[in-house]
Amino acid sequence: MAATIEIKSLSKTFGSGPQAVHAFGPVDLTIEAGSFVSLLGPSGCGKSTLMLMVAGLLDASEGAIYFDGERVGAPRTDIGIMFQDNTLVPWRSVEGNIALQLELRGLDPKPYAGRIRDLLRSVKLEGFAARHPYELSGGMQQRAAFCQALVHEPDTLLFDEPLGKLDAMTRESIRTDLQALWMARRPTVVFVTHSIEEAVQLSSVVCVVTPRPGRIERTIEIDLPWPRDMEVKASPAFTRYVHDIQGIFRDYGVL
Amino acid sequence: MVSSNAPRDPAPAHAPAHAGRLIRAVEWLVLRIAAAWPFLTFFVGFFLFWEYAVILFGVPGYILPTPSEIVTRGWADIPRLLDYTLVTGTESVLGYLLAVAVGLPIGLAIAFSPMLRRTLYPFFVSLEMVPKIAFAPLFIAWLGFGLLPKVIIVVLVCFFPVALNAIHAFGSLSDELTRFCRSTGAGPLRTFWKVRLPAALPQCFVGFKYAALNATVGATIAEFMGSDQGLGFYISIATGNMRPDLAFAGIFFLTLLGLALFGCVTLAERLLIPWHISQRRH
Ligand SMILES: Nc1ncnc2c1ncn2[C@@H]1O[C@H](COP(=O)(O)OP(=O)(O)OP(=O)(O)O)[C@@H](O)[C@H]1O
Ligand SMILES: [Mg+2]
Repeated sequence: MAATIEIKSLSKTFGSGPQAVHAFGPVDLTIEAGSFVSLLGPSGCGKSTLMLMVAGLLDASEGAIYFDGERVGAPRTDIGIMFQDNTLVPWRSVEGNIALQLELRGLDPKPYAGRIRDLLRSVKLEGFAARHPYELSGGMQQRAAFCQALVHEPDTLLFDEPLGKLDAMTRESIRTDLQALWMARRPTVVFVTHSIEEAVQLSSVVCVVTPRPGRIERTIEIDLPWPRDMEVKASPAFTRYVHDIQGIFRDYGVL
Repeated sequence: MVSSNAPRDPAPAHAPAHAGRLIRAVEWLVLRIAAAWPFLTFFVGFFLFWEYAVILFGVPGYILPTPSEIVTRGWADIPRLLDYTLVTGTESVLGYLLAVAVGLPIGLAIAFSPMLRRTLYPFFVSLEMVPKIAFAPLFIAWLGFGLLPKVIIVVLVCFFPVALNAIHAFGSLSDELTRFCRSTGAGPLRTFWKVRLPAALPQCFVGFKYAALNATVGATIAEFMGSDQGLGFYISIATGNMRPDLAFAGIFFLTLLGLALFGCVTLAERLLIPWHISQRRH
């Protein structure tokens, strides 16, 4: 079951005294179960910080986060996370890295062999299962990390700029895959990105985050038909969303 | 020495993944040595120069012997040289293994204990500044001429590189990987075996290799200070008797010993972390 995530007057300050960095908040936000929510904002506005707090990997300075009403106090193990820097380890093959997610959970990776193969095929890495990360390009590593984050079939997914290092073509094709995955299983997705187009294309809701200290300036429901293919992207409605969001950033002097 | 300046080895890109690891590791070592031919040529040239320069300038043998004299005189004394190599080798290897056996767990404990990090760690860092070898005469005075003081001195010169590198190694897992492990709910033990330990091995080996270079130095100096056997003893006696030829023969065996120890550690590194950047074939 995908979870509803409630964020209540959440903020984060790193350090204390004169060196304190107010990174984020206060923010209130409700992420409906099964929705695809993008956090869109400039560099350093606290997107990664928010994501880590949602995952229970970073303590909030103030406020709280609830998963289906249950307060987050410890790292949540029922989610899939793709971190900003990939978490592939150099001593394991691509396949072994994906299995690491399972092994760390105390699961036997053998029954998952078929699933791992399917995942690798979906990101076009089927020939690279036995290769090590250093034999892969940056974009291929990113795709392997994508499989690593999904292999345990989580119902909630947190992605921190997952398509950041990909070339335009691969980016487009993974967006399509991601969308298909979301439409098929309807997990709750929190998706961090810099790209306005990407946010509008993939999301049911786009949260526009202000420069540091990040606050959610606007939450915009994207009312466009699914799947959002080339045609939808070429439509005037799509362009209007992109234009509006650009306007918000321009007002903040970011664009 | 198997120099890191040697040209990149021309080994084939990938042997079958399941072939014997040991065989592949040995093959790799041999290839690296074979790839060092420009160095070997220089090496041979160096000894030829030495030989003929000594003859040409008429340097007396009690000052500097020729390489050929060293070989022939050394060969005549080979049983004793081998015997003493064994003695010094035992001291070095015992001390080295002991240093690793003690240094690694201590390094591990300091890396994981905030309390030890604030007490033992600064203590070790300041001890690192003390030239450990300066303790050698004291240990000889306390413990006599036997094996024990030598082993202790070797431990002393090997312990710090092992321990300090282990502290560094186990204390520097990236934030991202730490968070990844936490997000899976893995306990500390599982995290250790699956992620922390393999991630720490390359840095640990930096310490192991450095310590391997120190081991024979420690044993030799300990023998200079007080002993009745071993290569250090041999060299100091030969020098006192105006026999630099025999001293050089002793140095030669000492070098072989150091190379063997370093080679073993390098081989172990190759076996344990074939994936690491310093081990990769290109
Ligand atoms: N551990 C930390 N200690 C101190 N300050 C931190 C720490 N982590 C983040 N910050 C600060 O918090 C702010 C937000 O950082 P965060 O990584 O969340 O930004 P971001 O929105 O993800 O940026 P980017 O898009 O560049 O990844 C930054 O100004 C950063 O300097
Ligand atoms: Mg970030």
